[in-house]
Amino acid sequence: MFFILFKLAWRNLLRNKRRTIIASIAIGIGLAALIFVDALMIGMTQNMIKTATASFLGDAQIHRKGYQDEQELSLTIQELDKVTAKLAKEAIVHYFTRRTFSLGMITSPANVSAVNLIGVQPSTERYLSQIDDAITKGVYFKDNDSRDIIIGTKLAENLEIGIEDRVVVTVAQSGSGELSQEGFRVSGIFHFVDEAMNSGMAFVRIKKAQQMFAIGDNVHEIAIKFTSTAYTQERELPFWKTYSQYGNEVLSWAEILPQLKIILDMSKYSKYIMGVVLFGVVIFGIINTLFMSLYERMFEFGVLRAVGTRPVGMARIILFEAGTLAIVSIAIGSIIGFGITALFAHLGLNYTGIEMMGVTIQEYIFPVLNIQQFILYPAAVFLFTIIAGLYPAWHVAKMTPVDAMRRSF
Amino acid sequence: MEQTQNHEVIVTDKVTKIFDPDGIPVNALNGIDLTITSGEFTAIVGPSGSGKTTFLNIISGLDTPTEGKVWLSGKIISEMNGNELSDFRRDNIGFIFQAYNLIPVLTVEENVEYIMLLAGVSKAERHERVKKMLKAVGLEGVEDRLPTQLSGGQQQRVAIARAMVSEPTIILADEPTANLDSKTGNDLLEMMRRLNDETGMTFIFSTHDPMVMDRARRLITLRDGQVDTDETK
Repeated sequence: MFFILFKLAWRNLLRNKRRTIIASIAIGIGLAALIFVDALMIGMTQNMIKTATASFLGDAQIHRKGYQDEQELSLTIQELDKVTAKLAKEAIVHYFTRRTFSLGMITSPANVSAVNLIGVQPSTERYLSQIDDAITKGVYFKDNDSRDIIIGTKLAENLEIGIEDRVVVTVAQSGSGELSQEGFRVSGIFHFVDEAMNSGMAFVRIKKAQQMFAIGDNVHEIAIKFTSTAYTQERELPFWKTYSQYGNEVLSWAEILPQLKIILDMSKYSKYIMGVVLFGVVIFGIINTLFMSLYERMFEFGVLRAVGTRPVGMARIILFEAGTLAIVSIAIGSIIGFGITALFAHLGLNYTGIEMMGVTIQEYIFPVLNIQQFILYPAAVFLFTIIAGLYPAWHVAKMTPVDAMRRSF
Repeated sequence: MEQTQNHEVIVTDKVTKIFDPDGIPVNALNGIDLTITSGEFTAIVGPSGSGKTTFLNIISGLDTPTEGKVWLSGKIISEMNGNELSDFRRDNIGFIFQAYNLIPVLTVEENVEYIMLLAGVSKAERHERVKKMLKAVGLEGVEDRLPTQLSGGQQQRVAIARAMVSEPTIILADEPTANLDSKTGNDLLEMMRRLNDETGMTFIFSTHDPMVMDRARRLITLRDGQVDTDETK
């Protein structure tokens, strides 16, 4: 019986090839759009997380508790040696680097500007941030020159300075609050897509920064890069407890930038909403197609009922047609979806410079194909198609043979 | 009347059908009492609007009477539910329609075997019975053709084979010769008479065709929803 129902369904769909092809393409385009949007969302999320974490943030950071809120100079990481010794042995930690921060003033012969002065370890910082890659003029840090400073393009423009020009940086020291001034020579100028970084950040060697801030060998932050970014989501790992002791806390990028996490989570819902809208269109398309086909064959259905097909059998015929239409549509949609997504996964989509969800996109977005897109969404299309077929199926099932045949005998 | 006798395949008791499509009641049947016994070759005739169609719909279980009862092979079909009626029609009634009404997407063999599929007959038996039935109606060698690849006469033969293959008690035929030329119609009627003689199945026709009336052994004339004449030849 199954085989004859499938044959009936398939051959009935072929009776009006044009209508079937149009309906299948319409459903298929809906599926292809879902596959593409899902792939794009994955690519965009990865891109934004990478942009947020790889530019400077890192996958996770260790601070003294309270530092994130107060940015107080004296709130340095406790038991620094123990912490770094442990981190060096941590299997999931790929790289880590120490940093110090203070707000200050940077002065050139032409101008003055507020700046976030950051002390970094050049050798390890290059694995955590992209400052070295973002250098557009000069060099990252010269060999051992403690007077090197690296500034952004916008700050250089504001101060009207270039490579090898001198600047003076003034900061308040920890504890006493006394002012500390040091002269630096610009060794490199960087450019990020994020203008806030270009205009407000200046990098010096950590030793010099520690001297200026009067914090000894202490640091405010340890930025960490994991061997896999997936570890940022695995909160059950002992790592998170281990480094949240001695009065310190370890935070993942999602906790440091909660607004990004929230918006990325919300983007999933927007994907679901789009899915519901697309499936809504698909459902009405299927119902329309099935009803058109049904009314054309009303007498035939009457004959099938007359010769002894039960109401549920009649419903099954329609559901088989809906299912067959779904299979054809899924094949079309999967091919279109794969083709378009694979093409853009290769070429990428240029969203660079556009600020989305508080993060400025710095690289092309490459949609990411995965097997779930070709299991989950086709299964959903099949399910929705069957659900859409229920109404015409019910309509046929409740029809009496006389109603269907109209003229009957 | 309590129950039909064994040889009575159809008994109707004061069957009335009132249609009320636009709030204006129309009496299609007015208390028809009829008994049809097994093996009959009966034609129901009458002018348009006389109630032939409605009567056949009701005795086949395709429609229900407003009043009265219908016994078919001893069972009151007017009280059966949808599934019971479907099964009853499948097992007891064969239909032949004026416009053949084969399923156009199924081959000749698939059209004929469809009812047996519904009844759960095994593949081997289905194949055997289809072959035998197509031979009986003179259609060997066309099993794999679609209905559209056959002439009108051949399609009607397939319809007869479909109606008879499940060995029902009654064959109901609606103007079976209306769309056929006189020679083909005559041949088909001869064939149905022969099958009636050989199998003992009951044939009931609704017709205007004098050829059918000539060959019928019993002629029931309806007029205004009532039996006008009932003559056995």
